[in-house]
Amino acid sequence: MMHPDDSLPGHAIDRPALLAALRARLAQLDRSDGTRAGGEGVPLCDAIDHHLPGGGLARAAVHEVLAADAGAAAGFCALILARSRGSVLWIAPEPDAWPPGLVRFGLSPADLVLVQAPRRQDALWAMEESLRCPGVAGALLAVDALDLTAARRLQLAAEAGGAIGLLLRPDSEEEGGATAALTRWRVGALAGTGSAHDLGDPRWSLELLRCRGGRPQRWDVTWRPAAERLDLDMAERLDPDDATEAEQKAVPARGRHRAR
Amino acid sequence: MRRIAALHLPLLPIERRRLSGAAAVWTTQGSRRRLIAVSPEAAAAGLRAGQALADAQAILPELVLHPHAPEADAAWLRRLAYWALCITPLPALDPPDGLLLDVTGVAHLHGGGAPHEASLRGDPGEEALRRTLVTRFARAGITVHAAIAGTAEAASGLARMGIGIVVPPGEEASAIAPLPLHALRLPPSTISALHRLGLRRIGDLLRQPRGPLARRFGAALPAVLDAATGTRPRPLRPLRPPPDFLAARDFLEPVVTREAVDATLALLLPALCRQLAEAGQGARRFVLRAFRVDGAVQTVAIGTGLPSRDPRHVARLFRERLERLEPGFGFERLVLEARATAPLAAAQVSLPGEGHASPDMRRQALAELLDRLVQRVEVWRPAPRASHWPERATWRVGPFESVQIPPGWPGSGPRPVRLLRRPLQLSAVALLPDAPPSLLRLGRTSWRVTRAEGPERIAPEWWRERPDRPFRDYYRVELASGARLWVCRPGVAVPGEPVTWWLHGRFA
Repeated sequence: MMHPDDSLPGHAIDRPALLAALRARLAQLDRSDGTRAGGEGVPLCDAIDHHLPGGGLARAAVHEVLAADAGAAAGFCALILARSRGSVLWIAPEPDAWPPGLVRFGLSPADLVLVQAPRRQDALWAMEESLRCPGVAGALLAVDALDLTAARRLQLAAEAGGAIGLLLRPDSEEEGGATAALTRWRVGALAGTGSAHDLGDPRWSLELLRCRGGRPQRWDVTWRPAAERLDLDMAERLDPDDATEAEQKAVPARGRHRAR
Repeated sequence: MRRIAALHLPLLPIERRRLSGAAAVWTTQGSRRRLIAVSPEAAAAGLRAGQALADAQAILPELVLHPHAPEADAAWLRRLAYWALCITPLPALDPPDGLLLDVTGVAHLHGGGAPHEASLRGDPGEEALRRTLVTRFARAGITVHAAIAGTAEAASGLARMGIGIVVPPGEEASAIAPLPLHALRLPPSTISALHRLGLRRIGDLLRQPRGPLARRFGAALPAVLDAATGTRPRPLRPLRPPPDFLAARDFLEPVVTREAVDATLALLLPALCRQLAEAGQGARRFVLRAFRVDGAVQTVAIGTGLPSRDPRHVARLFRERLERLEPGFGFERLVLEARATAPLAAAQVSLPGEGHASPDMRRQALAELLDRLVQRVEVWRPAPRASHWPERATWRVGPFESVQIPPGWPGSGPRPVRLLRRPLQLSAVALLPDAPPSLLRLGRTSWRVTRAEGPERIAPEWWRERPDRPFRDYYRVELASGARLWVCRPGVAVPGEPVTWWLHGRFA
């Protein structure tokens, strides 16, 4: 092992090079860097991916999702699991994930395994085993509260196995305190933009509350099931005329409105 | 040439209840009540099986009586047969009060000579085995008469008559010749008919020409005689088919602690897996049998999704289950069996540092994970089904089955991402009876509905359902908070009558 000072005695220290070398070594030590252990991160949409440190939601890590709305959070999690590309496990005391709805987020029932773990320690054990397994791409654990030790264990298991772990928790006011997870999100539902008789595509508010190596941020997004794409709502706000026109065209096509 | 050890338990109903003192077990035969088993103390007082209950009570007023329980006796006999698995892998039941053990080639394992010696004239090994059997049962408080012969019928007849001998191979006919006819357990009508003809012993019967015997009593009688003498032996029906692969270990001192069981398993598993590897097989079911000193047998079984012979993986699966063993006074023998075997090709073990890349290894890793999970929690895959009724759109299949997606699934129309297993009952306010709700109430919370899409009418599947099940009108509603719910109203809304609404799912 060479100390940086020993290498070139008497020379002026090249500060940027030294810093870069130290950073590289730190990154090597810190296995939680998603780009190294699990390959590419899980992409969400361009704007969010640019904001996240790994260019997407890091694999080989645990992410927390606070469900301000149970349905929207389940949809968001299904989207991440589907994009992790592989077998995924959904662990809950009463797994109520329903494939006919999940398939609209790209999550095929062929990849999905449901695990019913009514007891908390069983659920944590199942999650840890799943994250440790190299054959699993993603695992979700629906849990109400999690202490720091358990969360840390899950994080270490994910680092060892390379899967992406999601902790789906109900939203709480105090934001849950400290966490061992890499990121923490709060997912809520937003009112659709359609008419009174058409709900339109699902809209969510995604709040990145914490992010290791990144800044908190909030996005309003729309999920386009037809294109399997997450769109930022910015574009619509810039072009209000186009958006409303598109909505008006869409309404008669759906034909659900019964004139009375 | 097979060798069969027959055990007869004359006091089975008494010893099962662990009765002491003067006791007897009785049953009703027609309109009469008779004793069927008496304890040694009662026998000493002059009682015997077959006596009328009233006579017995007159002879011995302090006699303790128990009614006969044939099912419990049979269950106990079966338990003893499982215990006998530690003598031979092929025990069979000989109801109502006997066991038949196929001891071919096992005599030398129990203190006798080598098998080739036993097959010669002298049978010191088999005699030692016979004594071992009697003493081991006696240690558990069970009286047995044991006899070893080349056929099950001969051995069983000798044991039933209380003659504990080892019949040399080929001498069954002369050994059973002096026995009375009921030793062969012929039907009572046949026995009385033979008695009328003056035939009282099996030897008398063996001397008769076969043709007239068969004409007079049917083909069953000569068949029994041929089976007993070994002319045409009948196969034994063992308790269970013997396992293809097995590893066992006996202990001088009974094993009580969990650590000792773990250590034994750590020896047995590699031995069994080596056997499997040599045969190119993998097993989907591993069974550990623990034989307790008091005659109880405990079984711990694990299953795997894919055939396996990886000792590390199987040991991990067993670790969860071994807590169920109750050693009591200790185990004297542990046997590990591999069942449900299937061909399993040898796999290349990956080099360290190669990473986890190949899809085969991933599949293997996933299968091993699911094996571990099913030990503790319920695991399934939701398989889609061609049904539009929401509860039936998916069904549970095992985690190792592959899921086929039928064409056209899941159909048109948005479906919720979460479906409540138990729908919640809502009360709702709607402008018109058959209009979408404008206000929903769940308990004390109320939600204002800002948009509603629907109705989508889902009719029950008449070919599956009871006919009075109503259709459902489903609405997708959006609340002021942005949450989207799937609510339904069963049946036709009638003006003036209260309408129940159900929350059935949540959209993303």
